[in-house]
Amino acid sequence: MLELRDLHAGYGRVPVLRGISLAVAPGEIVLILGPNGAGKSTLLRTVGGFIKPTRGTIMLAGHDIAGMAPEDITRRGLRLVLDGHRVFPTLTVYDNIRLGAAFRGGRMDFDKAAGPALDMFPALREKLKAEARDLSGGQQQMLALAQAFVAQPQVLLCDEPSLGIALALIPPILEFLRRWARQGTSIIIVEQQIEIALGIADRAVIMERGAIELTGTAQELRGDARVHDIYLGLADRE
Amino acid sequence: MQDLLIIAVHGIGAGAIFALVGMSFNVVFNASGILNFAQGNLLVLGGLFALLTLPGEPSVTGWLVLLPIAAIVLAALVAIQGGITLLPLRSSVEQHSWLITTLAASVIISGVLMIYQGSAQPTVHSPFAGFRLMGMRVPASYALATLLAILWYVALYLFHTRMLTGLAMSAISQDLDAARAAGLRVRRLQILSFAISGLIVGSAGFVAAPVMAIASDSGISYVMNGFVAAVIGGIGSNLGALIGGFLVGVITSYAAFNYGGEFQDAVALALLVGVLMLRPQGLLGRPAARRV
Amino acid sequence: MARALARINLLRGADGAQALIGIVLVIASIVIPILAGSAYWTHNFLIVSLFVSVAVVQNLLLSDAGQVSFGQGAVFGIAAYTVGMVGTLWSQGFVIGALCGMAAAILLGLLFALPALRVQGYYLGFVTLSAAVVFPQMLVALNDYTNGINGIPVTVPGLSEQGQTGFTLIALLVIVLTSAALLFHAAFRATRAGRRMRVAAASPEAAMTLGIDPGRLRFLAFSIAAIGTGIAGLLYVPVLGFVSPYAFRVDLSIFFFFSVVIGGNGQLLGPLIGAWILYLVPNALLAGWSDYRLVGYGIVALLIMLVFPDGVVGSMMDRLRRFRARESVPLIAMDHLLNDPVTDLSPPASATSAIVVTGARKSFGQLAALGGVDLSVTAGHIHGLVGPNGSGKTTLLNAISGLAPLDSGVIRIDGTDATRFAAHRLAALGVGRTFQTPRIFDSMSIWENLMIGADAAPTHDPWLLRTLARDEESWSESRPDLLPHAQRRVLEIMRVIASDAPILLLDEPAAGLSPEERRDFARLMRFLRDRLGRTILIVEHDLDLVWRVADRISVLDAGLIVAEGPPDEIHDNPRVRALFTGTINA
Repeated sequence: MLELRDLHAGYGRVPVLRGISLAVAPGEIVLILGPNGAGKSTLLRTVGGFIKPTRGTIMLAGHDIAGMAPEDITRRGLRLVLDGHRVFPTLTVYDNIRLGAAFRGGRMDFDKAAGPALDMFPALREKLKAEARDLSGGQQQMLALAQAFVAQPQVLLCDEPSLGIALALIPPILEFLRRWARQGTSIIIVEQQIEIALGIADRAVIMERGAIELTGTAQELRGDARVHDIYLGLADRE
Repeated sequence: MQDLLIIAVHGIGAGAIFALVGMSFNVVFNASGILNFAQGNLLVLGGLFALLTLPGEPSVTGWLVLLPIAAIVLAALVAIQGGITLLPLRSSVEQHSWLITTLAASVIISGVLMIYQGSAQPTVHSPFAGFRLMGMRVPASYALATLLAILWYVALYLFHTRMLTGLAMSAISQDLDAARAAGLRVRRLQILSFAISGLIVGSAGFVAAPVMAIASDSGISYVMNGFVAAVIGGIGSNLGALIGGFLVGVITSYAAFNYGGEFQDAVALALLVGVLMLRPQGLLGRPAARRV
Repeated sequence: MARALARINLLRGADGAQALIGIVLVIASIVIPILAGSAYWTHNFLIVSLFVSVAVVQNLLLSDAGQVSFGQGAVFGIAAYTVGMVGTLWSQGFVIGALCGMAAAILLGLLFALPALRVQGYYLGFVTLSAAVVFPQMLVALNDYTNGINGIPVTVPGLSEQGQTGFTLIALLVIVLTSAALLFHAAFRATRAGRRMRVAAASPEAAMTLGIDPGRLRFLAFSIAAIGTGIAGLLYVPVLGFVSPYAFRVDLSIFFFFSVVIGGNGQLLGPLIGAWILYLVPNALLAGWSDYRLVGYGIVALLIMLVFPDGVVGSMMDRLRRFRARESVPLIAMDHLLNDPVTDLSPPASATSAIVVTGARKSFGQLAALGGVDLSVTAGHIHGLVGPNGSGKTTLLNAISGLAPLDSGVIRIDGTDATRFAAHRLAALGVGRTFQTPRIFDSMSIWENLMIGADAAPTHDPWLLRTLARDEESWSESRPDLLPHAQRRVLEIMRVIASDAPILLLDEPAAGLSPEERRDFARLMRFLRDRLGRTILIVEHDLDLVWRVADRISVLDAGLIVAEGPPDEIHDNPRVRALFTGTINA
């Protein structure tokens, strides 16, 4: 569904990604791990169109989307959910969700499109008329995901869904992502902390300094001491 | 007492025009971060449209038909201007490019007005008779402009909170990246915001034409007073612009009444400096004066 | 100034060469019409040359100081009008009038500078634009003093008398003024103040950490602009022989601003080319169609902005530079620096604390970024500061460098309480810093980028510049915009070395460096500590690098120090391991 080949990108002239290759199948959940500054968010922002790659291709369902604008990439079926539970603060929950499908001209059956998300996150259903800024961080993350859900993307990129969220709210969010993937959506999740999303991931890759250092199933990586060494900057020690 | 009434009536009438210009600033600013310097001259262009199309003794029906046409013509013009303004924004001198292109557009309209007008100052006649308020004759255009300002405020409020396109426009002003990630076409929405600002100044210029100076040098004064209104209310806030407009109108007409009409802009300048020094975010503004 | 003039090397270097071309053009534009006996063109070019000198100082104000003023026409006008009022209406003569005119121009120019301390960008633009709108209205309104819309005729005998060849004293004065303005701008850029002004405009926070007070430089810029504009306003009176409110309408201010941007913001020759195009094209082509001039001039401005977004001269220079750039980009090599036989500058006084932070607290709204941090950095040490995203590392660094004051707590630098110091005072105490994104100024040469650091050094003769003297020539001719990221990083660190600051705060210096570059960087860190006796506080994500170079490490989590000690101790600490790998409750 999504295939990255030898992707290079950076901020301005700061190189961050140094040749990332990665493929994600429909319905697969891939977790991207790595220490601070490894380039995980940069990778998602590059695939999402916010950073122009300096080299490499991004194939989405057979078409190269590298260099396209974010809004056009979303229209082609790849949706990036930014980190920091970003929603539109003065708009209501209902309107925030509605805007997720606005690019299709706004004709949608709200209950049908948003139903599964609202069933999973009953707090949102209760607060449909509230402004998004009055939600807790966790509810805002749920809202951001619900907004992405109504867009019905083929590929979902999710940047640190657990960031700044009460621990108790993380399981329903992960469960929602797991069910979503079962519908055939490819999902890439970035997390800083190793354990959080490993349980729902089919596969995980560990990034370090802009490159993929390790890749394997959740089980394989759980027992691999190299993962911790990469996180602690001890991997290069002789 | 009578003096105060004159000041209030004139101030509210003029303030309504400032409020309308202020709101038209906000619409574009919220969507793009651009302040369109040509907004004042575009308002005068709306007045020129009235001058060219309305007969010496216009009928109410004719006026009602021409009003939306004026708004649409101006909307088309401003949309084109917006497209031109947004065109070079990818280059290395971003800010200066829009300062220049919107100012240049303003200068061009000034030039066009100069050609039309020559040196005589023509007047536009209103189909509505003035009315008496506590013994004072009030031109209908003052009341109509005030009504229009309130109508536009309500319309913009509904647009930004009810309609999907308006919500999308609010969204890009609140979080540009999140809006792009949601698939909203930013460039199109920005051009649309220019068009809406054109609807506002087009209708405002047409309605206020009988009490406006339709001259090549009046646009810059309207742009300045409209900006002061927007700054007092807090850039980006339409309610702020509405209140700010009436405030500027009443305060400057007080000055004009007591010291002479030449001092009206000077007082507006003093207000602007005062607000920026003491409360840069304005009455209802969100962040402080944004640094560019 | 004399040294600076020598430095610009008039025949080489873009600024000097452009100034020289400008002077030749100004002289030619006035001398040729005089010799040809064309009174019309002589007059036109005298006027346009005066406008050029105003635009030159506006160029300095806009691109060197970053101040948007749409009101320079009012400064120009008040100088001219004061000459008319004092000289003619009050019969005090041209000289007294000119003195009063200058005083008025400087006063108004400084009035513009006041809001500039508070607001920037288009807010400032609008304030000054409004002043330009109001100025001619006041000339009319105060007609008891100004003669109102009738204006004031002014004759200055002597200045306008033609010699045998047709030359007038005023023509000479105009040539001298315009040439002087161009020369001044070129020379000013090579001065310490000139460099610091550009730094303050490009990055106020970087400027403050280099000991610069941006507000003072804004004032200086407005003063220079007022003086240049004022003198031009004085000379305008004898050239025209008449002042009226009509001449000083807002259009004039917009004309000056347009001239700068259309010519090419920041280019020495830009204002001249811009003013010529804007003044001459509509006037020459539409001579018989005076009503169409305003439209013509707006369209010219709009078209040039769309075709040459960097201005006419700017776009040309860009192409020229791109063409030349293919030949060579100098390499900023550290090798001969690291191998230089340096006498150890200041052997670290052992065991004294260079930085002591106690009880540092800082909140942003609801969020507590620092919740009571204690930190002590020993002089002559490399001290690592690590922690997850959002743990407060950069907030702490900003507090120590004075960019974001603490809510409570105390910061001592070498024993001095610096808690309430602004960044430029902390810089004076010897704290230098770098930023996550290197603050390299692309409009200056590589050498000038280093000089900014040296400008902040207390001795003005820092060791580094002497060591690098042989690179001065090639680095003076190249701009850093083509340097790769790692080289920009090194350049920024060399700049802070050049400032002779004994305490260095480095914010994620290894981000974006390749493995080899990281190794070089580690060498540089040790060199700074061992050979130059610098104290270094380094915030870094790359733990590998921190383990390699740091003497001690503090670990921040959620605004609190959770561990502190030597590297071995820290990376064996289970709490730290859990923190970085995100193993919950490990």
